[in-house]
Amino acid sequence: MNIFLNLLEGAWHVLLAGLILGAGLPALFALGIRALSYGADDGQKDSDHKPHPGMRVLAYACFAVVLAAIGLGIGVIVAGGFGLEVQLGWPLFVRE
Amino acid sequence: MTPELLILSLVVVTALAFDFTNGFHDTGNAMATSIATKALKPKSAVTLSAILNLIGAFLSVEVALTVTNAVVNIQDASGAPKPELIGDGGLALLLIILAGLVGAIVWNLLTWLLGLPSSSSHALFGGLVGATMAGLGVEGVKWVGDGTKLDGVVGKVLLPALVSPAIAIAVASVGTWLVFRLTKGVANKYRESGFRWGQIGSASLVSLAHGTNDAQKTMGVITLALIASGHWTDLTAVPFWVKFTCAAAIAAGTYIGGWRIIRTLGKGLVEISAPQGMAAESSSAAVILASSHMGFALSTTHVATGSILGSGVGKRGAKVNWRIAGRMAMAWLITLPSAGLVGAVMWFLGHSIGGVYGALVIFAILLAAAGWMYAHSKRTRVDHNNVNDDWADQIAAVPDKPMVSGPRKKSKKKARKKKAAKKLKAEL
Repeated sequence: MNIFLNLLEGAWHVLLAGLILGAGLPALFALGIRALSYGADDGQKDSDHKPHPGMRVLAYACFAVVLAAIGLGIGVIVAGGFGLEVQLGWPLFVRE
Repeated sequence: MTPELLILSLVVVTALAFDFTNGFHDTGNAMATSIATKALKPKSAVTLSAILNLIGAFLSVEVALTVTNAVVNIQDASGAPKPELIGDGGLALLLIILAGLVGAIVWNLLTWLLGLPSSSSHALFGGLVGATMAGLGVEGVKWVGDGTKLDGVVGKVLLPALVSPAIAIAVASVGTWLVFRLTKGVANKYRESGFRWGQIGSASLVSLAHGTNDAQKTMGVITLALIASGHWTDLTAVPFWVKFTCAAAIAAGTYIGGWRIIRTLGKGLVEISAPQGMAAESSSAAVILASSHMGFALSTTHVATGSILGSGVGKRGAKVNWRIAGRMAMAWLITLPSAGLVGAVMWFLGHSIGGVYGALVIFAILLAAAGWMYAHSKRTRVDHNNVNDDWADQIAAVPDKPMVSGPRKKSKKKARKKKAAKKLKAEL
């Protein structure tokens, strides 16, 4: 029985992290793209739309968060390889 | 050359061959969607993936020596091989490893021939479990560990395999739904180019994670063989040449590209658009990284396939080819026992012949099987030229029929050249 509880616990954590990072970040990215396209008509032709200045800032902020998260992801991979662990807070990397 | 050294060389070569198949079997996990949406040209995609796999393999500095401990009892907790197995110069252990690797490669090649993305780690574990059962009996296999945590064949291989595709489907379908919902009515200009970049970025992350996870397994197996035969003693490090050759083998395999599998993943399951591709790869990257971070063993292949299916579930009106998905699920179910069966048969064969000749015979069988499957694959060639051709349903089910009905489409460049030549002729 124990093994199934362990399985459920592990699966639940992975699902949660997956939803936040794997679905949340693409959604944020999509939001950034939507912001760039602010004021454009559906399927408008290339070149005849310029992003709204304020919305452009918002869009780049979204992209920046996504990029930071990817950076953190690479950090996790690299750190894992060197026997380090990434934690939220400071210092970012600690020995496992 | 002493008999031990000859067998050790066979083990090393076979392990590297497995690493190579691991590379091309899994290229599609990261790159199938980018190729299908034409975010990347097929050749550029496999090149990028190969480079990232190479980098990833070198990044895995952590010792991977205890990789077999998850499923079989041939090493102790520190990674040293069991003393009773290395009494005769390590021959007993080397034969188990060799037979297991042969089982893994044969299964990987067969599923590749059928264009089915099956898990390379399942094949490796299956082969080792089969060979160990044959060599040491059922007690040689770690089925559930001590029950306090997820361990053994059941906890580290079977149960996660049931759960992980479901997790991936859920994450990717939520992601896809959100992305389409949020970008409804967005100008095409931003949509297409934006999501292509997002897709390439997330696919790169999957490739990098693959390099760190999978190349390690082969490094661990080779180092175990070196220790068993007395050629290496350090339990805390992998020899540099092992790391180098494993990294090179998995990168070379990735570069060759398992086009048959890429085709199935990219074209067979769901008609993928750039936003779906990005949602699928983000889901794969997040689930793989989260699970390896939490020590929850997942197969990259199962996650990637689940994510692609999820990207079809989450888009309204998208069609998912559940028949192909069912075939894959079948392949997943039988991967472990099939590779195990081959591994066990190989062990019996090698053991009954005995010594160097036993090892040579099973190596020869591997070469013959690989050669046969390669020759067979030539009949229905899939490569970077036709990997994106329209999917006709029957071809996957009957691999003996031509992969592309009718004459193969010429590339645009060639067609243009021909046209120009014709024009020139007419003018003359």
